[in-house]
Amino acid sequence: MSELGDKGFRQSQAFLHTWSGLLLGWVLFAVFAAGTIAFYREGLNRWMRPELAKVEQPEKVLAGAQRFLQEKAPDAKSWSIYLPSGSTPGAQVSWRPQPVEGEAPRRGRNRNQVMIDANGEPAKVRETRGGEFFYRFHFDLYYMPVIWARWLVGVAALLMLVAILSGIVTHKKIFRDFFTLRRGKGQRSWLDGHNATAVLALPFHLMITYTGLVTLAVMLLPWATSAAFKDEAGYFEALYPEPAEVERTGRAASLVDLTTLVRDAEQRLGGKAGYLEVSEPGDAAARVGVIRSGASMLSSRTPRISYDGTTGKPVWASPEAGPAVVTAGSMIGLHAGRYSSDWLRFLYFLCGVAGSVMVASGMVLWTVKRREKLHDPARPHFGFKLVERLNVAAIGGFPLGVAVMLWANRLLPVEMAGRAAWEVHCLFLAWGAALMLGIVRKPQPNWVALLGLTGVLLAALPVYNLFATERGLFASLWSGDGVLAGIDIALLVFGAAFLALARRVARHKPAAPRVRRRAAPVQPVAAQMEPAE
Amino acid sequence: MTALAFLLALLAFALFGLSTDEHHRKRLGARPDAVTVLRLRGAAWAAVAAAFPFAIAAQGWVFGPILWVALLMLGAGLVFLALNLIPAPAGRK
Repeated sequence: MSELGDKGFRQSQAFLHTWSGLLLGWVLFAVFAAGTIAFYREGLNRWMRPELAKVEQPEKVLAGAQRFLQEKAPDAKSWSIYLPSGSTPGAQVSWRPQPVEGEAPRRGRNRNQVMIDANGEPAKVRETRGGEFFYRFHFDLYYMPVIWARWLVGVAALLMLVAILSGIVTHKKIFRDFFTLRRGKGQRSWLDGHNATAVLALPFHLMITYTGLVTLAVMLLPWATSAAFKDEAGYFEALYPEPAEVERTGRAASLVDLTTLVRDAEQRLGGKAGYLEVSEPGDAAARVGVIRSGASMLSSRTPRISYDGTTGKPVWASPEAGPAVVTAGSMIGLHAGRYSSDWLRFLYFLCGVAGSVMVASGMVLWTVKRREKLHDPARPHFGFKLVERLNVAAIGGFPLGVAVMLWANRLLPVEMAGRAAWEVHCLFLAWGAALMLGIVRKPQPNWVALLGLTGVLLAALPVYNLFATERGLFASLWSGDGVLAGIDIALLVFGAAFLALARRVARHKPAAPRVRRRAAPVQPVAAQMEPAE
Repeated sequence: MTALAFLLALLAFALFGLSTDEHHRKRLGARPDAVTVLRLRGAAWAAVAAAFPFAIAAQGWVFGPILWVALLMLGAGLVFLALNLIPAPAGRK
């Protein structure tokens, strides 16, 4: 290798780039695409509940939430309220009943959940996971134990970081050819597209991959924490300091007005509050904890303040965060972009789209590059077929799944049991169907079918909204509801883009096999392995 | 402030773009000589740097740097699309 000098190094990096990108590329694509969608998690939470009006007066909703909980669960162990704001569908409230002696505490999803709508009443709303699904899927995947999923996603992210860094070396001309886009030139166009989406948003790609690893760092590299802390409790105490739990006294006492309390907490915390928790409501020992919203600051480790629930006096506040906590919190905050304004969020989203296109085009390039070198293009070897077909299934299938899920959100009957879960099942059914299609049919018509179908489904959603819901595009625009209007417009744009892509693929004629290959079958090895530039 | 920083970012990448052989020829008629390329690149880097204080002034030290990077990416993206998708003036192909 040393005799090849720089070329040897670049070739080794090209090898690394190719295979680190391919190995978990399909997982990475789904994770990247879901993460991109999750930037509009709150928007989708609203979009997927078209029954609910926009929250105009958050205080009215919070008062309604308190009223509801007081009636429904006056002597619960605890209440929790995701505080309403203009960007939430309402206030998501839940409660935990007092534990029964001798009964293990219930694990899993809390079923005592209700959405309080803009008028402060418990909402009659379709059961859906909304945008939360994409957020969780982004790092927990689905149908598998969370811990395995996070390891898988963590390893995929690590490979992504390797692919990005080795890619910078491999495609070193990208900075010189920064502004070049050759259209309609087959492999070159794919490469230019791959490079452009990679380089234009390179700061984002590096940031998002690195900070993504940081969010999983403690799981991937547990040794620093296990060296610094004797047990898990000490670690959690340092990271998420919480006031001591209170004992129920049995003396009834009424709870303070939560809206006044939140107003006070926001002043003391220095920003909007996002979450509120009441322990032992209705008891003299009641405590109210308020946590500052992640949308109000960069660090995701937001401070917390605790009040006496009967007098409304502050009794505890989280200590000043140390530098390590602030660093980790800021990186996670930077990753999730909860702090971002509308415009910045849109940029996050565009960068995420660029990243998804980068991953997808990279995977397709793997086959495009190799197709030319196949001995017999009509009967490629197994590895080539596998990658080619998995590309169809993963890259063509996931967007189709998303489109089908959004339709399921609209069409599944409201009274259906397990409706929220079935919306998600629909995504995977469609995805699985794409995989089946990929196995039984040749790739090219599959691309056309999947892309085309996705395009039609996506573009038809806003049309359906227009006629079947009260929150169609024009109504949203009229009432100045930018988020809902934006999602509808984005669906139209993506629908059109998928249709355009399908058309391109349908019209694509594979280039005639090059004569060169026959004429000069023995190429110098170095030229054959020339890294993509 | 944000708008100013954005305009500078846009300017910077327009200059970077025009310092490449191909786009210079397409947009301005001739291949640039070495001195022109250096001048264009120098001016581009200066614009990148000049955008930074405006971003800080707009959003402070915590969010300002993020804004700066975001605007640079946006500027680069828009220039990239403009240079490649807007047809060149007739006769300069």
